[in-house]
Amino acid sequence: MNLSIFFRKNLMLLAILAVLAGLFAAAANGMESSDFVITLLRGLSVGSLTFLVASGFSLIFGLLDVLNLAHGTLFMIGAYIGWTVYVRPDTFVDLLTPLALVFSGFMLGDVWTILSTRSLFAGGTKRVLPWAGILVSALILVGVLRSYPVSIWNPEDYAQSPVSISYLAGQGQNILPPPAAFGSISPLLALAGLLLGGLLLAFSLSLFNAGKQAVSKRLGWRSFAGFGAFLLAGIVFFVFNDALTAFLAALNTNWLFLTAVTVAVGAGIGLGALMETTLIRPLYIRPIYQLMLTIGLSAIGIEMVRAVWGRPEFTMPRPELFAGTGEACPATSLSDWWQYHCSTMILLDGRIRVYNEIFVPIVGLVVLAGVWMLLQRTRLGMVIRAGVQDREMVEALGINVRRVFTLVFALGVGLAALGGVLAAPSIGLSNMMGESFLLNALIALAIGGLTSYPGAALGSLLVGLLQQFIIKYGQIGIPIPFTDIIFKPTPPIVPASTILLMVVVLLILPNGLLGKKE
Amino acid sequence: MNHLLEVQSIHTFIGQYHILQGVDVRVPKGSITALLGRNGAGKTTTLKTILGLTPPRQGKVVFEGREINGMRSFDIAALGIGFVPEHRAIFRDLSVEENLKIAERRKGDYTRKQDFLFSLFPDLKRLINLPGTHLSGGQQQMLAIARALVADNRLLLIDEPSEGLAPVLIEQLMQAIRQLSAETTVVLVEQNFLVASQLAEYYVIIEEGRSVKQGKMKDLVNDKATIHRYLGAA
Repeated sequence: MNLSIFFRKNLMLLAILAVLAGLFAAAANGMESSDFVITLLRGLSVGSLTFLVASGFSLIFGLLDVLNLAHGTLFMIGAYIGWTVYVRPDTFVDLLTPLALVFSGFMLGDVWTILSTRSLFAGGTKRVLPWAGILVSALILVGVLRSYPVSIWNPEDYAQSPVSISYLAGQGQNILPPPAAFGSISPLLALAGLLLGGLLLAFSLSLFNAGKQAVSKRLGWRSFAGFGAFLLAGIVFFVFNDALTAFLAALNTNWLFLTAVTVAVGAGIGLGALMETTLIRPLYIRPIYQLMLTIGLSAIGIEMVRAVWGRPEFTMPRPELFAGTGEACPATSLSDWWQYHCSTMILLDGRIRVYNEIFVPIVGLVVLAGVWMLLQRTRLGMVIRAGVQDREMVEALGINVRRVFTLVFALGVGLAALGGVLAAPSIGLSNMMGESFLLNALIALAIGGLTSYPGAALGSLLVGLLQQFIIKYGQIGIPIPFTDIIFKPTPPIVPASTILLMVVVLLILPNGLLGKKE
Repeated sequence: MNHLLEVQSIHTFIGQYHILQGVDVRVPKGSITALLGRNGAGKTTTLKTILGLTPPRQGKVVFEGREINGMRSFDIAALGIGFVPEHRAIFRDLSVEENLKIAERRKGDYTRKQDFLFSLFPDLKRLINLPGTHLSGGQQQMLAIARALVADNRLLLIDEPSEGLAPVLIEQLMQAIRQLSAETTVVLVEQNFLVASQLAEYYVIIEEGRSVKQGKMKDLVNDKATIHRYLGAA
């Protein structure tokens, strides 16, 4: 494009970016270079975490038109799942068998579609049957799970609460309790109950979609492959429970952290896929119900987290790579840091936390580049970009858009879960961490452009930087020109500043900085 | 006669509106069949019903002897039916090449068809890296048809190809459609009777959601009374 046309077309955007760059330069002038670098890196860190929530939210909204207000809660759940794997691998391993057996039923989607389409029930029975099935399956699952041995903490007892466990783990004194054993229920009965409950639950949920999905293929081995794999995995986890727990407990914390991140992201992807196929899909033509559903799911998620992990805030210990202390720390160079794994490092006379201010932004950049490559360089990305513009046409080309919907929803939730587990060692775990990051993400998307992926990155960066610079100026104060007054922004100004930026941007560019006219 | 597609007495609703109230269409293999009728008669809905985008509540759609109504639209398309919608539906943020590549059903479809597509629409080769949003109306129409030809489709549903185009471009498009009809059966919705009569061998007239007349185009061209009554053309 001709340069002058580009400037003319993007005049307002360039003007806003120039003003922001000016403000940024003024901020750099107003503080010590060490303060500036630390604040900049902190801004990048918060921006990266915000981006992980915002990018998933934006992908889901762009393609599916779903405003997933439970996205923040899924970010939080990612953090808590990650913490569980990292600090209590025994609990995680104990839960693998029930989860695999219950979810195996959901792998029989083709079978359920055929069965529900061919079911001969009509009228009232047809309406009651799914609910009755859900009720019976819930009774079976609750009955079995109450007696199923899971070694777990107790949020009501301080000594056994996640706060204490986390503290001890941070001190290197994490001793796992002896494994829980079967008592009132026989192992075989428990496994059969879990399998039956899962099958019944999956079938009952599929009945809601009966007749809405045309059946176009016969059952083949692929229709049963997922079920078989989950069933086998459930049995393997059951048989090798103790060995797997011992293996994870003996792992170096770096590897354990990597495992925790992988599990949290995997759980996010699975949860996202399950949520889209069972709860969101029937409501595509009812956006208001969808909105209510996601708000409800968010509230349920928060309460579940409170019930399981308790209300108090706690921090996930950092892996060894970022936890070193002692005389050699803080590190003065990267090689120093690599040698002593210092938790802090000296940069331009300022002391930065390596995990928060270096590692998290790097992961944010890697994810930004990775998802960008996925969107721009792969067929799936091409289909997603096309689907954002015209879903019907994509379907008319012979592409199963529903499957792409599920993939994108799962990917979006996976990104949120990644954000959550990365945030756990830096900002800590709390019941409301998801809500505050969702708010940040929504503001970032409004600033950057709701369905624009680069817009999500730019908006998140601006939100992170603005918040951190306001916090810093709250400490050092801003001298008001031509007066002796030093203005110190108070904490409530931090969220207010990002909202003010959003309002200004939207007044000038209603679609955000990089958004397109809808 | 060997029919590639048979639409039998379909009834389609959009929301509460009963749009198609009994449409029958028979499309002989290797032909161009035009769906004719006034604005709002139900021609576009007929195409969308064939493709399953607005599924019928009653009636049958039979493609190559197989009943396809009730199937999901992407499964119907995958049987070998290409669609060129009324407003082209070019993916504006995708490049011309990506707009073509996305239509691949098997890996390599685009590479295999490249020479054929660019011989049909030479302009597209020059524009290959431009985003869809930078194309003119005529170029978008060519791209939309080329996109429908990337996969091995045996039936093409083309909706209003000449709409909003200059006469020179219409002539170019007509040549392309004639050329591609040697290999692919075409169902064409066209408001411009002159274009439809020059292209199609068969016609179906749709009036208020019902098919009221069908036959050979050469017979219709001489039937001024029918043309005047249903199409309003002189």
